[in-house]
Amino acid sequence: MSRKTLEIYSVELDGTKDTKQTDQEDDKKYNDLDLKKSHQKEELKRELDLDDHKLTSEELEQKYGTNIITGLSSARAAEHLARDGPNTLSPPKQTPEIIKFLKQMVGGFSILLWIGAVLCWIAYGIQYVNDKSASLDSVYLGVVLALVVILTGIFAYYQEAKSTNIMASFSKMIPQEALVIRDSEKKVIPAEQLVVGDIVEIKGGDQIPADIRLLSSQGCKVDNSSLTGESEPQPRSAEFTHENPLETKNIGFYSTTCLEGTATGVVINTGDRTVIGRIASLASGVGSEKTPIATEIEHFVHIVAGVAVSVGLLFFIIAVSLKYQVLDSIIFLIGIIVANVPEGLLATVTVTLSLTAKRMAKKNCLVKNLEAVETLGSTSIICSDKTGTLTQNRMAVAHLWFDNQIFMADTSENQLNQAFDQSSGTWASLSKIIALCNRAEFRPGQENIPIMKKVVVGDASETALLKFSEVILGDVMEIRKRNRKVAEIPFNSTNKFQLSIHETEDPEDKHFLVVMKGAPERILERCSTIMINGQEQPLGKSNATAFHTAYMELGGLGERVLGFCHLYLPEDEFPESYPFDVDAMNFPTSNLCFVGLLSMIDPPRSTVPDAVAKCRSAGIKVIMVTGDHPITAKAVAKSVGVISASSETVEDIARRCSIAVEQVNKRDARAAVVTGMELKDMAPEQLDEILANYSEIVFARTSPQQKLIIVEGCQRQDAVVAVTGDGVNDSPALKKADIGIAMGIAGSDAAKNAADMVLLDDNFASIVTGVEEGRLIFDNLKKTIAYTLTKNIAELCPFLIYIIVGLPLPIGTITLLFIDLGTDIIPSIALAYEKAESDIMNRKPRHKKKDRLVNHQLAIYSYLHIGLMQALGAFLVYFTVYAQQGFWPTSLINLRVRWEKDELNDVEDSYGQEWTRYQRKYLEWTGYTAFFVGIMVQQIADLIIRKTRRNSIFQQGLFRNKVIWVGIASQIIIALILSYGLGSVTALSFTMLRPQYWFVAIPHAILIWVYDEVRKLFIRRYPGSWWDKNMYY
Amino acid sequence: MRRQLRSRRAPAFPYGYRYRLDDQDEVNQNYLADEEEEAEEAQVLVVPDLEEEEEKEEEERSQGQPIGNAWWQKLQIMIEYLWDPERRISLAQTGQSWRVMIRPFAHSLNFNFNVSEPDTWQHYVISLNGFLQGYNDSLQEEMNVDCPPGQYFIQDGNEDEDKKACQFKRSFLKNCSGLEDPTFGYATGQPCILLKMNRIVGFRPELGDPVKVSCKVQRGDEDDIRSINYYPESASFDLRYYPYYGKLTHVNYTSPLVAMHFTDVVKNQAVPVQCQLKGKGIINDVISDHFVGRVIFTLNIET
Repeated sequence: MSRKTLEIYSVELDGTKDTKQTDQEDDKKYNDLDLKKSHQKEELKRELDLDDHKLTSEELEQKYGTNIITGLSSARAAEHLARDGPNTLSPPKQTPEIIKFLKQMVGGFSILLWIGAVLCWIAYGIQYVNDKSASLDSVYLGVVLALVVILTGIFAYYQEAKSTNIMASFSKMIPQEALVIRDSEKKVIPAEQLVVGDIVEIKGGDQIPADIRLLSSQGCKVDNSSLTGESEPQPRSAEFTHENPLETKNIGFYSTTCLEGTATGVVINTGDRTVIGRIASLASGVGSEKTPIATEIEHFVHIVAGVAVSVGLLFFIIAVSLKYQVLDSIIFLIGIIVANVPEGLLATVTVTLSLTAKRMAKKNCLVKNLEAVETLGSTSIICSDKTGTLTQNRMAVAHLWFDNQIFMADTSENQLNQAFDQSSGTWASLSKIIALCNRAEFRPGQENIPIMKKVVVGDASETALLKFSEVILGDVMEIRKRNRKVAEIPFNSTNKFQLSIHETEDPEDKHFLVVMKGAPERILERCSTIMINGQEQPLGKSNATAFHTAYMELGGLGERVLGFCHLYLPEDEFPESYPFDVDAMNFPTSNLCFVGLLSMIDPPRSTVPDAVAKCRSAGIKVIMVTGDHPITAKAVAKSVGVISASSETVEDIARRCSIAVEQVNKRDARAAVVTGMELKDMAPEQLDEILANYSEIVFARTSPQQKLIIVEGCQRQDAVVAVTGDGVNDSPALKKADIGIAMGIAGSDAAKNAADMVLLDDNFASIVTGVEEGRLIFDNLKKTIAYTLTKNIAELCPFLIYIIVGLPLPIGTITLLFIDLGTDIIPSIALAYEKAESDIMNRKPRHKKKDRLVNHQLAIYSYLHIGLMQALGAFLVYFTVYAQQGFWPTSLINLRVRWEKDELNDVEDSYGQEWTRYQRKYLEWTGYTAFFVGIMVQQIADLIIRKTRRNSIFQQGLFRNKVIWVGIASQIIIALILSYGLGSVTALSFTMLRPQYWFVAIPHAILIWVYDEVRKLFIRRYPGSWWDKNMYY
Repeated sequence: MRRQLRSRRAPAFPYGYRYRLDDQDEVNQNYLADEEEEAEEAQVLVVPDLEEEEEKEEEERSQGQPIGNAWWQKLQIMIEYLWDPERRISLAQTGQSWRVMIRPFAHSLNFNFNVSEPDTWQHYVISLNGFLQGYNDSLQEEMNVDCPPGQYFIQDGNEDEDKKACQFKRSFLKNCSGLEDPTFGYATGQPCILLKMNRIVGFRPELGDPVKVSCKVQRGDEDDIRSINYYPESASFDLRYYPYYGKLTHVNYTSPLVAMHFTDVVKNQAVPVQCQLKGKGIINDVISDHFVGRVIFTLNIET
């Protein structure tokens, strides 16, 4: 519900690089709050310096210059509004669009390409000074390079902006209104115009529009889940009950919901100064980590840029010492840089990630930050919130105890399999009490909605009981109608019971039925008999012991236990017209008949245990972090498998062996339950020790800051940490985590804002899907990069050989760009559709520092094995063309100078024919085209071999990934268009190639395939061998 | 039939386009494949590069032809195109257009020299002398044969058999041979410039009148050049020097030359000269390549 209103946040979607900087900016912005990481804990405390809850109404009136009866005057309110600003949370600071755009222009390889472009223009400048008729080739090249950078930049920007829009549409503004007393009149005004000192009235269903100090209340209960994450209704009244402003009952917090009742309060804080506002700014003060994939890509960019620059400079020096002109050497340098830089790759990666993001969105994982797609795959620890993520965030009847027996109830989402024995007479009585002693009601007009989805007015326990009996007994409202209620005592904390008196169904039977439920021990006190198998028996000692055993057992499961009893009032003493007076209690409330116990729990989602097990088999540690009670937390942890059935905590071992906790060898325990209190006294090293030594950990009773500490602790273990959460209190941890996952339905906007990913169905199981997709994308990115890097050698060799051997240039710089940004784009994206080679969910998550995206095996295999083979194949085509045209390979050596001399118009070939400069240039272009086609043909083979890294292509299936074939078709079609369609455009330097040249490289392509199959065969045959270690990437 | 095609094609394509096709043309291979055909069939067939082009062409051709025959020819051309049986010989990047070049050649096409300063023209003389060494009468008589003028010197036989070459004697160049005037006229401000056609294996000029050379002022006053003498006097390249079989077998082949003797040129100013080939089917106005059927150079003779 809080989701609808907290619109104030707008979505901020930063690339990781921006985040760091924005954070710095934010830090500056919030300097007054001094939100340094180390001070966060203290900060949060200081922020909650609030003493309004201790003041009396009069003092409050004085402090805020208001009047409780008449409210503020409009003039005064306007004054305050001008002073404090509107009552909204200021949106997180957005990076200006232009900055985001410019960052795309200089990130990654862009700098290298800019350098290339500038060098081109400088080269032209020098040429122009020397010779006014210098050719414009290098200017064109410079322009093309700049265009490449700008276009890929625009593309990346567009991709990012698109995913931003997804999120923006996600939170639509719904204007919130507040009922305020001003000028002695009740007015409805937009909540953002509220000011400090306003007197507001709230009623059930409203969102509390600002931090308010309650002045009066009638049965007011609030749901603080947006603040604390726990949706337990909390009563609110005007009394000061606790020193801590967060605990006291007379303060209502901004963005929490009033569940029932009404209240009046004075506004004490608005906008960013509210508690929520401060937590929100705390969250934006936390630096979010750079995503693992961003680190990997940076690493990869460094490798490639390093190779490009060092090869470039090396050959620049070689060229200069070979007495080439500096100008020529610069042009070589540009060629080498362009050949080395995979211009299209970063765009491809973006597309690949966004394809996966789309796929995940279909499976209810909405990814805000594209890079987070992969992060989930490398996640090694998931810190999961309990309420709402692992559990259904509602109460449900879990167990029943009657006839000295514990029965289990179905707690699944639909509760349709209530399999316990319902034949006993005790059950008949118990079910009647459950149905009657209940104030909760279905909201009308929901006849066609399944019971479990119906909206109920009432608190969580009563809702659970109502739905439980509705499922089993049918129409509860009808039952209540038949058993007319004549009197009722609602639950209160002093009595700790709830009671109602009903007429019986049978019109002949004039008995009244008293039904009562409440805290089991209190109920038992009031009973003298107990019902066993439908018969009342005196409550003996053995019965009492059985009761206590059952009570302890259910309580030990972390369940909330209620006792039920009833009494048929004697007809003579209480005739039909008897005036029941609930205040005077003119009816018996003791010596009742105890019927049974019933326990309730927030049940785990049915898909969670399976999902947790999958996470575990995928090597992911699931840690539960909750604000809930340790016993409940542990029980839920056990039921969902966060603590597996066979694991014991230190305390369990101690109990089993009946020894003191201190005597237990801590190594024996695999599980641990750590409470917030213990955590508070722990040094970071101790926390590290716990995190490292226990595989199953539950943190209970934790505060938002402690969540942050836990996340930091996990990150110190070099783990990639995912955090799930829904409340505002989770948002700092969500931001701090490597990947923050917010709940889409229950999650507050603050949480969604801080998160990188939103689970639209609030289902933990969706995370597993995400992990799977993330791992797959990592594997596939590896393939994409290997595919793309391979041709770099084939692109680079022409320049090196051109410089050293002096052949006519085999391939032009612009032609290279047509490979990088033309034929290769769709195939490399197609690899993203590749299916996993083996069960990726059965292996450990990759190690952040050891399993790199681009490791040296990948680089060496791509560059020096396949890359060199490809270069040879492409040269073969090149030499074939030249030889068939008259220039034998031997005649090409050192031909470069004469070849490129414009005045020389009768250069002799191997057959004595004479060539003009233009003819040579045309042949050179034909050579470019041939080399291009040679690379293209072999890239087809490269694409096919990259489908798998270990398995044979035949195991993977050649035709399972249809997109690969689309990629291959696109390669061929683009090449055909370039050669035959654009062959006459001089600037592109393509020519129409004779058909037979298209086939020259095919044997080489087959060779590449066979070579790679052999490599894979040996990897499969000899796992762990030298070959496996060095040839598997 | 082929001739018919040729003539139909010729006007259909602007020269620029034709030229482009030429560059990758199969003229020669076709020519060589057609060796057996009679001399009149020497007309060259243009095989365009594009398959589509070819098909279109084929359709045109097949009109009025028996269908089976047309298909057969189409297939034949396709096969030749895709798989050329001639492996030894160049696949004729060169096309059917003659490119020309001049001598002396010294890094540029601007002839600037001062008659009274031998240093400024001495290198032209050396260059020409060097170039003409291979044309010495004694050498030509010894190595080459005197073949009948006015017709192709076609030598059948095995591909790798050595071919004989026709004599082109230095003395044919008369005043520009350097024999009478060792300075080739440079000392008198009447420079000789030799024009040769770039060698193309297998290519033959069209039958009929041999290719002639004609020079004139390219831009400016026509009268800047008042007289030019051509040697041989016909100012043409005789057919007997064609075809060229490639230097592997046609070892002693001597490119025929036409010498232009600029006997009366305006002095002390740059005169742009354009020498063009003239003849049937000769292309000499391609823009992208300035050496197709013509050559442009400037004469700047100072006194």
